[in-house]
Amino acid sequence: MSLALVSPALLVAGFVVIGGIGMSLVQSLGLLPLVGVPSLSLDAYLANGEELLIGTGLSLAIATASTVLSCIIGLTAAVVITQGRRTGRIVAAVSALTIPIPHLIGAAAIGLLISDAGIIPRMLGIPGTEWPDLVGGPWWVAVVLEYTWKESAFVALVVAAVLATRVARYDETAALLGAGRARRLRHVVIPLARPAVIVSAIIIFVYTFGSYEVAWLLGRPYPEPLPVLAFRLFDSITLTSRPEAAAVAVVTTAISLAVVAIGMACLRRTPLWK
Amino acid sequence: MSATLEIDALVKTFGAATALDGISFAVSAGECLAVLGPSGSGKSTVLRSIAGLDVPSSGRILVDGADVAGVAPERRGMAMVFQRPLLFPHLSVLDNVAFAATVSGQPKSEARADARQFLELVQLEGFGDRSITALSGGQEQRVALARALAARPRVLLLDEPFSALDPELRADMHSLLGQIRRQLNPTIVMVTHDRDEAAVVADRVALLSTGRLLQHDTVERLYTRPASIEVSRLMGGRIELAGEVRSGVHHSAIGAVLAPEGETWADGPGMLVVRHEAVHVSTLPVEVPPGMVGVEVVVADRRARGPRAEITLACGDGLLEAEVPASRPLAVGQSATAHIPRSACTVVPAP
Repeated sequence: MSLALVSPALLVAGFVVIGGIGMSLVQSLGLLPLVGVPSLSLDAYLANGEELLIGTGLSLAIATASTVLSCIIGLTAAVVITQGRRTGRIVAAVSALTIPIPHLIGAAAIGLLISDAGIIPRMLGIPGTEWPDLVGGPWWVAVVLEYTWKESAFVALVVAAVLATRVARYDETAALLGAGRARRLRHVVIPLARPAVIVSAIIIFVYTFGSYEVAWLLGRPYPEPLPVLAFRLFDSITLTSRPEAAAVAVVTTAISLAVVAIGMACLRRTPLWK
Repeated sequence: MSATLEIDALVKTFGAATALDGISFAVSAGECLAVLGPSGSGKSTVLRSIAGLDVPSSGRILVDGADVAGVAPERRGMAMVFQRPLLFPHLSVLDNVAFAATVSGQPKSEARADARQFLELVQLEGFGDRSITALSGGQEQRVALARALAARPRVLLLDEPFSALDPELRADMHSLLGQIRRQLNPTIVMVTHDRDEAAVVADRVALLSTGRLLQHDTVERLYTRPASIEVSRLMGGRIELAGEVRSGVHHSAIGAVLAPEGETWADGPGMLVVRHEAVHVSTLPVEVPPGMVGVEVVVADRRARGPRAEITLACGDGLLEAEVPASRPLAVGQSATAHIPRSACTVVPAP
């Protein structure tokens, strides 16, 4: 009965997710060629083997750095928000304002601010030649910065909601048992916020791992992260490279699903989840 | 573990609303005080102010004579047990009890050894390695009590800790608290809305209503010597006889009642209050014993209350209440004699 009630939602979601992934898988395995006879092969995966490997490494690095930084900054902001002082309200307002701004706008703004011809080096009077390569540089700083800016606000609001509702009374109890602020943070607040942080981290990792526009705008032309590589191959004038784009998409999806599985396993091991 | 506590003219306002309006009382070392009052009387605010979780608008809180204003909750040396046990879900039972020692920097093995003693004290030896999800409600509250005691609080604060438990478990917890008091003699302030609980657990009671302290007294005096009609009603008093005191004797519908030995009543209008438990009903013609007041009454109403029956007795305009065993054949309309001990009578100002 309950299955029947959720079936409309399941059908729509299933059509997009399973249909999309299924099509990509079929196409990447050479079973849906533009011309010619379908034949099962891994050619699409091997055609850009080196780029695929480097792209995977790069995407993993960007997503990991963005996720870790967002979680640390977001958790800190959440703790500040729930202290209930003026600073807390300001941080909450700034976080809430960040959420509706699209990544594309954020990326453009970051580019305008911190590129070698950007507003910040100009205001500081530093010539572009002496300004570090933050945009399009070897360390993908602007990309990670953009993700961290937006996703830390997301973590802050999600975790603050949990801290304010579920953790506040435990925090009081711990204080009355003689635990100072730092001890409470370590022994009570962080352990109890862990499920919310893990869930946020899974969402951020999967998003930043598969997101295209920020890496494309603020990154360098080569090497390419997986979504940029997939889109370039998909958009290529060589229509026969479509299966290669599908192969990159399948690899991206597989890694994302693996990360979700690992994240859920971690979540299940936290005592609060039970 | 046994500090003295003094509350001096405590005021707490939330915006325009006054939660506490000049509360003062003292708790001596090793005493158990119950802060009793209906919902919204401000009793939890008193406790939270003592703990440092709420900052009073004015007034002082002295622990062992020292003002604790501005002292953070974690430095006040107060442990609190709430209505919900609030055991840390990421820690085992033993580590919950060892929490205070752990955060004070004691080595883990020492903290745990210490915690085991307190688990034993609350009769939960052997439960240490369990997860807190494997405990029943009563066991959880025992662990919460052990955890609070293991912090060696100067004052132990209890905020309706047993009100979520069923009556049998509550009685168990009351006797456990009694045993803990005999062994450790902590100073306890307990908030409750249950006057029976206050009577069982506490030495003295501070009765609050709408942010004001109505009476701070022993349990017995709160029942038998209420300071006002409000106290009498909050303590469940049901007999109120309007009248007047002339030359130290109260005159009302039940006649003249002389003040108990050693007490005087001020002349003027006054309400005679007496506990219905003190009223004896007799259907046989017996002589009024010395120290008693005899009143001829008619049974006006009878309500069954399981093993007992509540009866209303009419005497002219005045109404008396009494409780009798359900087996006594006192029917409505029957005449009887009510005997009231003079020592149970009090006159309070007429409202």
